[in-house]
Amino acid sequence: MGDAHRRVGDFVRLFSDAFYSQEGSSLSPLLSVSSSSTSPFLLSVADGLAAFQDWGRLLKQVDGQLEDILSHLLRAVQSFRAGRFMDAYIAFEKSANAFLQEFRNWESAWALQPLYTIAYEIRVLAEKADWELGSLGKNPEKLKGAGSYLMKVFGALASKGPKRVGALHVTCQLFKIYFKLGTVHLCRSIIRSIETARILILKNKLIKPSFQVTYMYYTGRLEVYNENFLAAEQKLMYALSHCNFRREANISFSPLSYLIPVKLSLGILPTEFLIEKYNLVEYTRVVQALKRGDIRLLRGALLEHENRFLKSGVYLVLEKLELQVYQRLMKKIYMLQRLKDPSKAHQVKMEVVVKALKWLEMDVDIDEVECIMAILIYKNLMKGYFAHKSKVVVLSKQDPFPS
Amino acid sequence: MELESNSLEKEQVKGAGQGQPSPYASATPGHQPWTLTPGSAGVEWNSYRTDNGSVENGIPSISSYHDDQQTKNTAAFQDGRNVVSYASSVGANTSHDYSAYITNQNSTDPYPYQYQSQYYGYQHSSNDSSHQQVGVVQNTGAPYQPLSSFQNASSYVGPTSYSSTYYNPGDYQTTAGYQPAAAGYQSSDYNNQTNLWNDGNYVPHQYSNYSLPDANAGQCSSTATVDAAHYQQQYGQWAGYYSQTASDVMCAPGTEHVALTSVSAESSVPDFNPGYPVVNSQPPPPGTTSWGRDTTSSGFPSLQGKDVAGYSQNSNWQNGPLVFAKQHGSQAPLHFQQTLGSTPPSYANMEEQQKMAHAQGSHVRFPSSNQVPQNFRPALNPLPTLEALRASKIQIPTNPRIATNLALSIPKMDKESSARDAASTPAYINVSSSKPSSKLSSHDSAESLTKQDFFPPSIRAYVERSFARCRDDAQRLSNQNLLKEIITKASTDGTLFTLDWDTEPLFPLPTTSFDARNKGSPQTSVSLSPLHKLRRSPSRRTKSRWEPVVEEKVVDKVAHLTHVSVDNTSFNRFRTEKVSDVARYESKGNGWNNTKFVSSQQTSSNRNVQRPAKKPRFSDSDAVQNGSVSSDSDKDQDLTKYHSSAISLANSPEERKKREHRSKRFEKGQERLAEQKNYQPKALRQGGGRNRRSNIPLILKNEDGPKRAVEDIDWDSFTVKGTCQEIEKRYLRLTSAPDPSTVRPEDVLEKALAMVQSTSKNYLYKCDQLKSIRQDLTVQRIRNELTVKVYETHARFALEAGDMPEYNQCQSQLKTLYAEGIKGCNFEFSAYNLLCVILHSSNNRELLSSMGRLSPEAKRDETVKHALQVRSAVTSGNYVLFFRLYKKAPNLSTCIMDLHVEKMRYEAVKCMSKSYRPTVPVAFVAQVLGFSSEDADGKDAGGVEDCAEWLRAHGATITVDGNGEMLLDSKVTSSGLYMPEPEDAVAHGDSNLAVDDFLARAAP
Repeated sequence: MGDAHRRVGDFVRLFSDAFYSQEGSSLSPLLSVSSSSTSPFLLSVADGLAAFQDWGRLLKQVDGQLEDILSHLLRAVQSFRAGRFMDAYIAFEKSANAFLQEFRNWESAWALQPLYTIAYEIRVLAEKADWELGSLGKNPEKLKGAGSYLMKVFGALASKGPKRVGALHVTCQLFKIYFKLGTVHLCRSIIRSIETARILILKNKLIKPSFQVTYMYYTGRLEVYNENFLAAEQKLMYALSHCNFRREANISFSPLSYLIPVKLSLGILPTEFLIEKYNLVEYTRVVQALKRGDIRLLRGALLEHENRFLKSGVYLVLEKLELQVYQRLMKKIYMLQRLKDPSKAHQVKMEVVVKALKWLEMDVDIDEVECIMAILIYKNLMKGYFAHKSKVVVLSKQDPFPS
Repeated sequence: MELESNSLEKEQVKGAGQGQPSPYASATPGHQPWTLTPGSAGVEWNSYRTDNGSVENGIPSISSYHDDQQTKNTAAFQDGRNVVSYASSVGANTSHDYSAYITNQNSTDPYPYQYQSQYYGYQHSSNDSSHQQVGVVQNTGAPYQPLSSFQNASSYVGPTSYSSTYYNPGDYQTTAGYQPAAAGYQSSDYNNQTNLWNDGNYVPHQYSNYSLPDANAGQCSSTATVDAAHYQQQYGQWAGYYSQTASDVMCAPGTEHVALTSVSAESSVPDFNPGYPVVNSQPPPPGTTSWGRDTTSSGFPSLQGKDVAGYSQNSNWQNGPLVFAKQHGSQAPLHFQQTLGSTPPSYANMEEQQKMAHAQGSHVRFPSSNQVPQNFRPALNPLPTLEALRASKIQIPTNPRIATNLALSIPKMDKESSARDAASTPAYINVSSSKPSSKLSSHDSAESLTKQDFFPPSIRAYVERSFARCRDDAQRLSNQNLLKEIITKASTDGTLFTLDWDTEPLFPLPTTSFDARNKGSPQTSVSLSPLHKLRRSPSRRTKSRWEPVVEEKVVDKVAHLTHVSVDNTSFNRFRTEKVSDVARYESKGNGWNNTKFVSSQQTSSNRNVQRPAKKPRFSDSDAVQNGSVSSDSDKDQDLTKYHSSAISLANSPEERKKREHRSKRFEKGQERLAEQKNYQPKALRQGGGRNRRSNIPLILKNEDGPKRAVEDIDWDSFTVKGTCQEIEKRYLRLTSAPDPSTVRPEDVLEKALAMVQSTSKNYLYKCDQLKSIRQDLTVQRIRNELTVKVYETHARFALEAGDMPEYNQCQSQLKTLYAEGIKGCNFEFSAYNLLCVILHSSNNRELLSSMGRLSPEAKRDETVKHALQVRSAVTSGNYVLFFRLYKKAPNLSTCIMDLHVEKMRYEAVKCMSKSYRPTVPVAFVAQVLGFSSEDADGKDAGGVEDCAEWLRAHGATITVDGNGEMLLDSKVTSSGLYMPEPEDAVAHGDSNLAVDDFLARAAP
């Protein structure tokens, strides 16, 4: 009892000391509710709270706003320790709101560090709370709530002043939430204000590279959705080259799984070594299909990993590779014909193509093949024209398959 | 007679006073337990309630007192039912009350609860002892009242409002005209004002007042000396209460409202009884005040104490009250005698009188508590001879008014008081005389009583069930209140015995704990809300209650309506217009109940009363209510002039704001009541509906006050249950809460759907009908397979007609319905959904998520497979595949694909004209692009002609070769293609809105 009392008292004292002396770095770990299972100090505090029911009295000594922050924070710690994540989230959100209110009043940006912690914690707690809600059959809505809280934080940061650099961190947390919730369209306004405010100046020393990497990663993914492959490639490449691969978490987060389809669309194939190194096996057959012009392989790969590709949002990108596969096939036919008879190599008869596709067990008739040829020509994947009467594709003699 | 009555009354009063002490003494033993556990008192009460089904109501009210007076009041709202229960429980309560009383007295604890209990005890004691005791009870109650806002209200009201309104009422006695028109209303308004004033007074003066009251009490009621002592103690307690908690203070303001409400309750009573209300309202406030003064004298004293300086009248008041009490006592006896002589109802009368006394006492004591007691009383009143009670009440009110009047106009007051004392007694006498006339009302009361007595076991089981859900006392309280409401409604509706209580769904429990909130006014508001709702429709309800129950009532109503003013006047006249009084009494009884139940209710009722005053014609109209608030403030201002000192507090803008806020709160509460409307007859429901609608935003608005989360609002309770049997119904966008009489229940909707499906009328008709079906489903919150069927049907019709906006609405609804696991043509519509996403937007994310949501089973479904193939064809631009799929599209997929054909063809021609050289036969184009008819050889001229026409329209160049075959010159065409302006394009972009098209489609 006495021990519990002391530990909770210590926490309150530490917190208020850091709060009043404005030491962000010492305040920050005290806010890290979700680490209370690993941090010995917070763990002891959580146990102390459980043992010392009357801890509310200890808060009498601190004044209004801090009491708000602390009482809810302690409740969150206690609930988290007890595995009641929903309660923990609710309490933490209250605490975070009180903190944000104070934060708005501070001229300096000393509290950015604790705010980062809060932004992170609220997301993690919301995810856990939603998991708990989901397991109870209730509507998981806390992550959404965390999103709107972070939008408030963003609003407090995005204006001018020294706090502005903090906006990027919050943006990253917001991205994570929005991508998880599937409300990606909400990112647009954030991106706009980030880019107009030029918060993200690359190599800005004030901004931790990890935030920049995260930001580039998510905006790159957005570009993938929009099939804006060049911009996507650029952003994802930045993220890839700057992310810290020594951290294990970054391997699953790897921008590679998005960068590969983007590069494939641009006609750049990854090496087998790369795919194996990062365990991106789902792309193995896709790459093979592209190399061989084997449409069946591509469709099989898409079918096999359909859910995965749908979830990550690259399904449509990969599906569009079909035309490239057809192009590859035509190219192969063309090369074979050239080996056989260079003078007639540029005339590819439809029967040949149909035969090739039949051999690949594709159920197509001549009309469809004609259509595919027309599309290839139309999309400039193949130079030449189609003669309907003779059912022949006449390829250009110069560089018939531009890449 | 008057003189005699006065003397009798006085005697009675004395007796009562004496009796009171003695009962107290006797009760004291019992008291001790009570005193010991003031907090537990509530629990005990609960137990009491449990004991008596009807008692429960009363008990709840008590408990509510503990928790929140307001909540109790809410219970009171339920009054109709509560009343019944009250009546039934009265006996038990009384006994308990005795004990409670004792405890209260003994323990001068500051707890209002104790007071309440004391009140109850008083009442009970009075009941037990006799009618005379009742008078005593009243006395005791009176002191309590002073403690609470009631005292202030009474005194204040007396002075201020009285001066303004009451004086007018003063007219009561003298000028009947006033009363009829404005008297009642004014009185009600005044009451409100007075309450407010009282509140203000309360806060500042309460303590001093209390002490003063004590002295006064002593002075006032010689008989009540002992009581006075008790009162003093109580006062001290009250003071403690006030001082103790800000919330208490809040209560005081709230109580102001409450007091107002109580007053208003009185007034509201009038509301309940259209005609009656007015009268009731007027009399009750005064009555309550007077009662408080009389019995408690302390309450009056407080008024006096503060006012004394200003108001010598106070003494008069006290006297007046005392007289009143005496009168009451005398009246009660008279009634009893009369009633006894005449019929058993006399018993009821006795009880009622007692109740009246109780109610008064309660009123006097706590604004909130007062309300509660009032509620009890109302219940009692209705149960027993409402008439007698009413009569007594009426008398009382008149007396108070008189007293107030006296106090207000010192000269007048003095005269009046003196005169009143004399006159008051006569008035009482009148009451007694009026009793016969009030017999009708007594019948009603008897009915109500009988109802109470005859609760079927199923109801008891229902009650038990509902209580079984309660997790804490607060819930139990609210539950009790709600139960009361329900039962009263059922009894008033006459469905008490016809309803299948075993299958009747339990009403939703308010989730908020009243305990915490009760302290604060917001809390009370929450608890009150149901009550408020009830009150909202008080006029209606009362009407409904009374109308169906007894035809006599109609007469009464007429009398009321015509005589609302008359009643008021009659109050003044009490003596003269006995019959009207009786009717009024009944109404009063109701009003009492209403008022008593919830302080907030009371306020609302006050408003109602006020409204009538403003616009007597619209007494029923709810809209007036809103106005009433402002009017209140206006009146308040007037009052302030009169009572600058006392009023100043009340009049301050902050105070007014608070008041308005509070009043809004009540509106909220009324919404709750609206829930109950479901159980009520149509007329009531309708009224409720209106209220409900306006109240919902208020509820939401008020949330911040009591910190009530949206999720805590029980939206289920707003669900409507339709009664309309018409199969055909035009769609009309709702601009107000739905009227159950125009909403079709599920079985009728099923027929309606079948009708629409088989009708040969055009789409517009079908759409209209389906929309109205959808609306009825939504309003009744029916979400089952029928709902799915309706939406599916509508979606199909919309697809056939190309009405995509309507289709999209249905589709999104279906999506959520399917997600809830309701069966339907799930796959078919996910296929449609997929097609829509593909064809109508290039939103890759949406497409991905739609595809991601498909289950493996869905992917095996033919329709879905087809849709997926179409998607693939569209994304890859494979027009050949697309048009093949178009030709074999299942179900209505064709309709969706139709919308994409034009775009697809255009893209295809663009593609072909770029890749084909030198020419493409038009016949081939026609075949590939789906122009030709479905035959395999499909080169019939028709298709080719169409295709050629289409190609030309899009800027293609067509040549004819030697064989007469049309050829598309691809090279020329590739640079000349364009999308023609759609022929049916309209400026506003929605071709469905084109007038010609609309008219064409509208034609059958």
